[in-house]
Amino acid sequence: MEDMTGMLTPKERDLACEALDIALSLGADKARVTLNKSLMDLYGTLDGELDKVSHCLDRSLGVSLFVDGRFGTFSTNRLDRTQLRSFLKESTEVVRMLAPDPCRDLPDPSRTEKGATAGDELGLVDPEYSRMTPDRRLSLALEASVTGKYRSEGLISEEGELSDSVFDTMIVDTNGLNCRHTETSFEYGVEMTVLGTEGEKISGYWWDAAPRLDDLKIKGCGDIAFRRATARFNPRTVPSGRYSMVVDNECSTKLVTPLLNALGAYSLQQKNSFMMDSLDKKLFPDWMTIEDRPRSVGETGGRLFDSEGVAALQVPVIERGVVKEYFVNTYMAAKMGIAPTVEDVTRPALLPGHDPSSQLKSYDMEGILEMMGDGILVTGFNGGNSNTATGDFSFGVEGFLFKDGKIVHPVREMLVTGNLLTLWNNLAASGDDYRLCKSKLIPTLAFRNVDFSA
Amino acid sequence: MMIEDYKGYLDMFGMTVSRMEDLTSLGLRRGGSYCDLYFENSVYDNLLLRDGEVSSGGFHIDYGAGIRVLDSDRTGYAYSESTDPDEMVKAAQAAAMVAGGKTGCEKRINVTPVPPAGTFYPVKDDWTMEHASEYVRLMKNLEERIRQKDSRVAKVIVSLVWSKSDIMMFNSLGELTCDTRPLASLSVSTVFTQNGRIENSNVSLSHRAGSEMLTEEAVESIAARTVKGLDDKFEAVRPKGGRMSVVMAAGASGILLHEAMGHAFEADFNRKGQSIFSDKMGRRICSEKISIVDDGTIPGNRGAVNFDDEGVKGQKTWMVRDGVLTSFLHDRISAKHYGVAPTGNGRRESFRYEPLPRMRATYMESGDAAPGDIIASVKQGIYVEEFANGQVMIGEGDFTFYVKSGHLIENGRLTAPVKDVNIIGNGPEALKDIVAVGNDLKIDDGAWTCGKGQSCSVSQGIPTVLVNNLTVGGGE
Repeated sequence: MEDMTGMLTPKERDLACEALDIALSLGADKARVTLNKSLMDLYGTLDGELDKVSHCLDRSLGVSLFVDGRFGTFSTNRLDRTQLRSFLKESTEVVRMLAPDPCRDLPDPSRTEKGATAGDELGLVDPEYSRMTPDRRLSLALEASVTGKYRSEGLISEEGELSDSVFDTMIVDTNGLNCRHTETSFEYGVEMTVLGTEGEKISGYWWDAAPRLDDLKIKGCGDIAFRRATARFNPRTVPSGRYSMVVDNECSTKLVTPLLNALGAYSLQQKNSFMMDSLDKKLFPDWMTIEDRPRSVGETGGRLFDSEGVAALQVPVIERGVVKEYFVNTYMAAKMGIAPTVEDVTRPALLPGHDPSSQLKSYDMEGILEMMGDGILVTGFNGGNSNTATGDFSFGVEGFLFKDGKIVHPVREMLVTGNLLTLWNNLAASGDDYRLCKSKLIPTLAFRNVDFSA
Repeated sequence: MMIEDYKGYLDMFGMTVSRMEDLTSLGLRRGGSYCDLYFENSVYDNLLLRDGEVSSGGFHIDYGAGIRVLDSDRTGYAYSESTDPDEMVKAAQAAAMVAGGKTGCEKRINVTPVPPAGTFYPVKDDWTMEHASEYVRLMKNLEERIRQKDSRVAKVIVSLVWSKSDIMMFNSLGELTCDTRPLASLSVSTVFTQNGRIENSNVSLSHRAGSEMLTEEAVESIAARTVKGLDDKFEAVRPKGGRMSVVMAAGASGILLHEAMGHAFEADFNRKGQSIFSDKMGRRICSEKISIVDDGTIPGNRGAVNFDDEGVKGQKTWMVRDGVLTSFLHDRISAKHYGVAPTGNGRRESFRYEPLPRMRATYMESGDAAPGDIIASVKQGIYVEEFANGQVMIGEGDFTFYVKSGHLIENGRLTAPVKDVNIIGNGPEALKDIVAVGNDLKIDDGAWTCGKGQSCSVSQGIPTVLVNNLTVGGGE
């Protein structure tokens, strides 16, 4: 991997190791240092003209200190060698003020990642990044604009943002851990605001992202955003009741995230989870499987290790409806008296599947709408909440009424309510159309018997 | 006020007035019309009580400077985590790119140190880790009080976070402004269990103040609020949904005002024509009983600012007066666009972000109705004590809010407790549908943070109000 501007330099990487030595010399029993660096350039346009330029370079050094059975976390972005010792000295003194905690420890070296030393093992670094120039960025951002195409069709404003970035992180600890992850990212997003038929202002947004510039689909974003806005013209109220619900692949993550969060040890240990005592229990339909796929090469969201340096593995989280994984870091494992896993899910993928009692022609939106027949297609969530302790939820939704598998009209002021466990038990289908630009690979979903209020 | 009065800040960032003049000139060299510098040195300290012990804590240092160049409405922004000359020059050159290569002038400027409009951060006792043992005692005391008040407590997490931000700003108008901002929050998250059921409670207290805010009374108040209405929470049900009247209790329910109406008053949305209020200036938008304010001058409030993050003095702004739209919330860009003075709403999360029009403490002024009379006037509806969170679509004004706690109103009386229900509506329409305003304005002192692409400390409040015709999402 060639060194690029924005990546950690050899001098900075040496600083991380030096920080460990200084921490030990100041009396720490163990320590972990995380060094992050990122560089992002963003070119924003308004109505096809340059509106905003930003250039952001960030660095931070985070330290976890284990001193006399006590623990503290510290960070600074002043990566000046001369200030490092005083920063660590003050940090060590603060740790000594805290109460001892025998559960705090570094992860066992047998669990940590050994194969991420160069940083680009997952193939997420695009050499093209180093060839980005201000003129090229400006050119790409302006070329993406479709303002002229839609000005006569009621377009009020078009706001586009093109960004490219590099992120580089390394973790070292006093048990010999030394791992690094580097990735580049290119992203374009655009919001189109359109004058509705009754004078209202309706916005539509679309975006794409990729680790490699060649894979970024800039063209078409503006058109999709405009279509998403105009499709929402003339919404109608639909009576409250129980409907089938299809959730598109742009917003379906919203329903999976609280489920995965509830499997995190911080929630479980605090008894603040509706997934308490769920391990190895069958709580979901047979055709529901969620895997963690952190080690896929060349794909958005991959990562070989968690924030402790523990190796991230491809494992089933929910397999054929059975809960197979809690996310448990070293600290929580000791507190709960269970085996550690990883701190959090990295790149969850919900696999295609459907209720075998129904006919499904294809695992895309069209096939799933046809399978469900009548119902409400949700294309966006607008606020709401889910109760972490009970799983009860209530979300505002935007979307469309569909009949016989075809979209009829947009709906207005609707809410979907229920309990997450019940909802997922009513899963009828999951598609195969997840968006590659996302780190959570959640496709179009369909559920039966969902309560809508209007 | 003399430049020497700000010498401590200049030294902290290794700057001289001459160097800052050079940097702004560099920023304008491609033809920008305005340039400003924003220096920040923030230290965030934290202590965390979990399972009865304060066994986790630390501090975090954030230091750097941002440089912004404006060319008409366009913005160039860059920042550096070092204020070394080479890094600052690189940042200035990057920000200057927005001006597109026109020839700029390198004018010299007369530097004017600007005094603040007031001192809105009343600090008696500085926060310091040296006093950690006293803070720890109060944190433990808070947990004990909560446990004493209710036997259903399963878990308690207490978090104490305090920060001090030293800020120095300089611009091509020659204005030099400095500010030191304290901010502290004590938060408690509690899980309760009863017959296998689980409920949780989150309460916080936040001020721009010193450690004198950690009084025994404050701790007792938080403990009492933590267990308040707990029986109702365990008994609460999701009510039948539909369109109905909603009475919002005074205080924390003002989050609806912030989200559903406040964002639409922010002038960047209006400048782009995206806000529902874009063409309503000077027109009546709601009942004459209603006046809505955004205030940066409440001493000790989370939203208080001696200066905003563009060096504009803290002030109080009426967006709606007696039902008429009178002002948007402006930063320097939007103020210039509209030909008005900035309102001191140019705020940012840190030097990493350019300032945007942001709210401070947003509230509705008291009306003349007695809260009890408002409730009594409702035949069927919902009384909302607290919302958990909310979201709004700025263009359409559509909002959704999740009710954390409340009661049914039946024949003018509060009856069964309700929870886990959403209220959905349209901000401007809901504003029009407010038919009664209580005489009991309360500004909430929780740790509210607004996220508009970047985080900003804010607060909000509202008197008891009655809104007709909102959609309440519930069971069948």
